[in-house]
Amino acid sequence: MKSFHLRKTMLVPVLMAGLAFGQTALAAKDVTVAVPYGFDSLDPYNTNSTQSQAVGKGWYEGLFGFDMDFKIHPLLATGYEVSEDGLTYTFKLREGVKFHDGTDFNADAVKVNFERILDRSNALGRYNQFKNIDKIEVVDPATVKITLKAPFSAFINNLAHPSAMMISPAALKKYGKQINLHPTGTGQYTFVEWNPGQNVKMKKFDGYWDKDHIAKVDTINFRVVTDNNTRAAVMQTGEAQFTYPIPYEQAAILKKNDKIDVIAKPSIIARNIAMNNLVKPFDNPKVRQAMNYAINKEALNKVVFNGFARVAEGMVPEKVEFSQKMKPWPYDPKKARELLAEAGYPQGFETTLWSAYNDGTSVKAIQFIQQQLRQVGVKVSVEALEAGQRVQRVEAVQNPKDAKVRMYYIGWSASTGEANWALSPLLAGDAWPPTFGNFAYYKNDQVDKDLADALKTTDKTEKGRLYKDAQETIYKDAPWIFLNTADTVAARSKKLDGFEVMPDASYYFKDVSLKD
Amino acid sequence: MFSYLVKRIIGMIPTLVLVCVVVFLFVHMLPGDPARLAAGPEADAETVQNIRKELGLDLPLPQQFGHYLLNLSQGDLGTSLRTKRPVLAEIGARFMPTLILTLTSMVWSVIFGLVIGVVSAVWRNRWPDRLFMTLAVSGISFPPFALGMILIQIFAVNLGWLPSVGATSWQHYILPSITLGAAVAAIMARFTRASFVEVIQEDFVRTARAKGLSEKVVIVKHTLRNALIPVVTMMGLQFGFLLGGSIVVETVFGWPGMGTLLVDAVTARDYPVIQGLVLLFSFEFILINMIVDVLYGIINPTIRYR
Repeated sequence: MKSFHLRKTMLVPVLMAGLAFGQTALAAKDVTVAVPYGFDSLDPYNTNSTQSQAVGKGWYEGLFGFDMDFKIHPLLATGYEVSEDGLTYTFKLREGVKFHDGTDFNADAVKVNFERILDRSNALGRYNQFKNIDKIEVVDPATVKITLKAPFSAFINNLAHPSAMMISPAALKKYGKQINLHPTGTGQYTFVEWNPGQNVKMKKFDGYWDKDHIAKVDTINFRVVTDNNTRAAVMQTGEAQFTYPIPYEQAAILKKNDKIDVIAKPSIIARNIAMNNLVKPFDNPKVRQAMNYAINKEALNKVVFNGFARVAEGMVPEKVEFSQKMKPWPYDPKKARELLAEAGYPQGFETTLWSAYNDGTSVKAIQFIQQQLRQVGVKVSVEALEAGQRVQRVEAVQNPKDAKVRMYYIGWSASTGEANWALSPLLAGDAWPPTFGNFAYYKNDQVDKDLADALKTTDKTEKGRLYKDAQETIYKDAPWIFLNTADTVAARSKKLDGFEVMPDASYYFKDVSLKD
Repeated sequence: MFSYLVKRIIGMIPTLVLVCVVVFLFVHMLPGDPARLAAGPEADAETVQNIRKELGLDLPLPQQFGHYLLNLSQGDLGTSLRTKRPVLAEIGARFMPTLILTLTSMVWSVIFGLVIGVVSAVWRNRWPDRLFMTLAVSGISFPPFALGMILIQIFAVNLGWLPSVGATSWQHYILPSITLGAAVAAIMARFTRASFVEVIQEDFVRTARAKGLSEKVVIVKHTLRNALIPVVTMMGLQFGFLLGGSIVVETVFGWPGMGTLLVDAVTARDYPVIQGLVLLFSFEFILINMIVDVLYGIINPTIRYR
C-alpha cells in the first residue's frame, strides 16, 4: 500500500506545526487593535501611511503633539519663542527625559534627528515637511534654536505632526538605516515586535517621564486584518477591542451588539473632484459651476456613505486651523443646465471621470456622480484607477499639456492641521503634477499671493484674513466639485476606554485603559 | 532513478533563468513608478527623484538587470522597495504559514476527496453517488470568500468555538484550511470518481473478481491503485496552486501568507519582492511536477525512468 506513504509524510509537518503553535494564555491587560493595512515602515520620517505614524506614537514623541481634537500641545518641548521676522524659533526642552535605551533626551538629540531628515543622501520620504529648516543650533542641553530659510508660520504644526518624532541618537548610530526595524523613542510604550503582514506589538515602558501618564495597559497589539467584514467579525468575537475603519454597511449590525460602541466622528478628510482647468470644457468657469450645481451631495452622502458624511462647507474641513466655512453649493440641476447652455454646451458634453482609489465606496461614488451628471446632459465614462495607474496617468505626468486627466475623484487630509497644507499642495500655481497634487491645474495669482503671504506673517489675524480671502476666491472659481467630508467610523469594545480616532484618521491612545 | 533526478534538477536551471528574464521585463513594464508610490502623495518631485536614486531605479534597464542577475547568482534577491527588508526575509516570514496551511488543506481534502470519489464510483448512479457529487459540485462552485465569511460567522461569532484571524494555535488552522480545501476536495472527488469508474470496467478487474478475490481487495488494491495516476497529477497541480497562497482566503482570515504579500508588493510596485515571489512559485511548480513524476513510479512500478 505505497499510496499511504503519502499521507504519513504529509501528516508529520502538520503535527509538528500543531505542537509549535501551542496556545498561549492571555494576560490581563492586553489590548488588540485590528488595523486595515500592513505596516510599510516604522521610521516616522520615511512613511506616508497614517496608520504607521499613528502606531509610532506609542514609542515615539515629538517636540509637540496633537491631542484628540487636533489641538497642539507641548510634549518634549515645554515652550518656544519666535523672532520678530518669523525666522528663528527657540525651543525650551523638557529635562530629565530618557530614551528607552537610556540615552538622555536633549538639544543634541533634536539636532541629530532634524539633520538626519535634512540630509538628502538619506533620501527620506518626508523631507518636504522639513525643507524650510536652514540650521539647528544647540544653545545649551535644554535649549535649541532652529533657523528657517524663509518665514513659515505653520512650522509648529509641522513639528506636531507624527512624523516629526525624536529618535534616540544612540539607536540611530547603532542601527543606521535599520532604525526602521528597531524603534527607540521616549514614549509610553517600548517596541516588542513587528511581523510583516501580521502585527506590530508594544509593551508598557515603566520609565516614562510623565508619571501621570504611565501606560495603564501592559501591551497593545496592532493586528493586520485586511478584510472589512472580518474586522467587524473580530470585534464581535472579542478577539479585538478596537477597529477602524468599519464598513458603513456593517455599522448598523455592530450597533446592535451590546458589547460594542460604534463611534462616528467628523474627520478632516475632504473629498472632491478636480476638473482640469486647462482644457475645454473645464476652462470655462461656468461649466465648473454647473458641475457643482449638478450634484446632489446630500443624496451622495446618504446613498454611498450611508449617512456617514457631511456636505462640504468650503474646501477646508472645519477642524483644520483657519478653515473658512462657506455655504454649500446648492443642488440645482436647472441652473446647471442654464449655465452649460450659456457656456455653449446646451446639449452637454462627454468626458471622463477617474477615481484615485478602487475600493468599493469610491467605485460607488463615481457611479453615483456619473448618474447625476447624466441628468444635466454630461456623459462621463468612469474608471477607478489602481495605485500604479494613478501614478502613471495623473501624478507623474511631466508636461501639463499631456495630462489626460479630466475629472478626478480624490480625497485629502491636511495632516498638519493647518490651512496651508490643505491648500498649497492642491491649489497653488506651483503645485501642478509632477511636483504636487494640483490635479485641477488651477492657478490664480491672488490665491498664490495670499498663500505665500500667510506663511510669512506671524500675526494670526492677518493670517486668518489671507486664508479667508484665498478660500473664498477658490470657492468662486470652483476648480473642483466640492463634495463632502466623511466621518471616521470606528468600533470599540465597551471594556476599552481612551482609544480614539483623530480627525485625520490617526489614533490617539495616550490614556487607553481596559476594564476587567 | 538517481541519474533521472539529477537530469531533472539540471533541467530546471534554464527554465528558471528564462523565468527571471521574463519576470524582470514584465514587472518593469507595469504602469506606475515605485519611487513615486514609495514617496507618497505628500512628497515633492525632488524627493521622488532622490528615492528613485536610492532604490537604484535611475539606472538604465539593462544595467539594472545586470545587477539583478549578479546579485541573484550570489543568492541575494535584493531588498524590498517598500519595507527596506531583504526579500529573502520578507518571503521567509510568510512562507511557513502558507506552507502549513496548504499542507493541512491538502491532507484533509485528499482524504475526503479520495474516500468520496471511491464511494461514489462503487455505488455509482445510486444515492451515495448523487449526494456526494451534489456536494462536490457545490464545493467547486461556492466562492471561497463567501464560505470563509459564513464559517467565521457561524463558528467564531455565533458559537465562539474557534478563533477567526491569525495563525498562532492549531485551532487557527481549522477554518482557513476548510475554506481553502473545500474546492480541492471537490475536484479530487470528481477526479477520483471519473478515473475509478473507468478502471473498474477494465478486463483485469473482471479477472480479479473471476479468480475469486474479495471485493475489498479488488477495489482497494487493484482498482484504486490504477485509478490514482490522474488523481496524483491533479493533486500536484492543486498543491502548486495552493502554495502560491490563496489571496482570498488569506485576506478573509487575516493570514500572514504569501498571497497577501504578493498583493501588497504589486500595489507598491515592489519589483524585487514580485520577482522573488514569482521565481519561488515557478521553482515550486517545477519541484512538484518532479515529485509527481516520481510518485507515478511508486504507484505503478511498470513506469520506468531514464
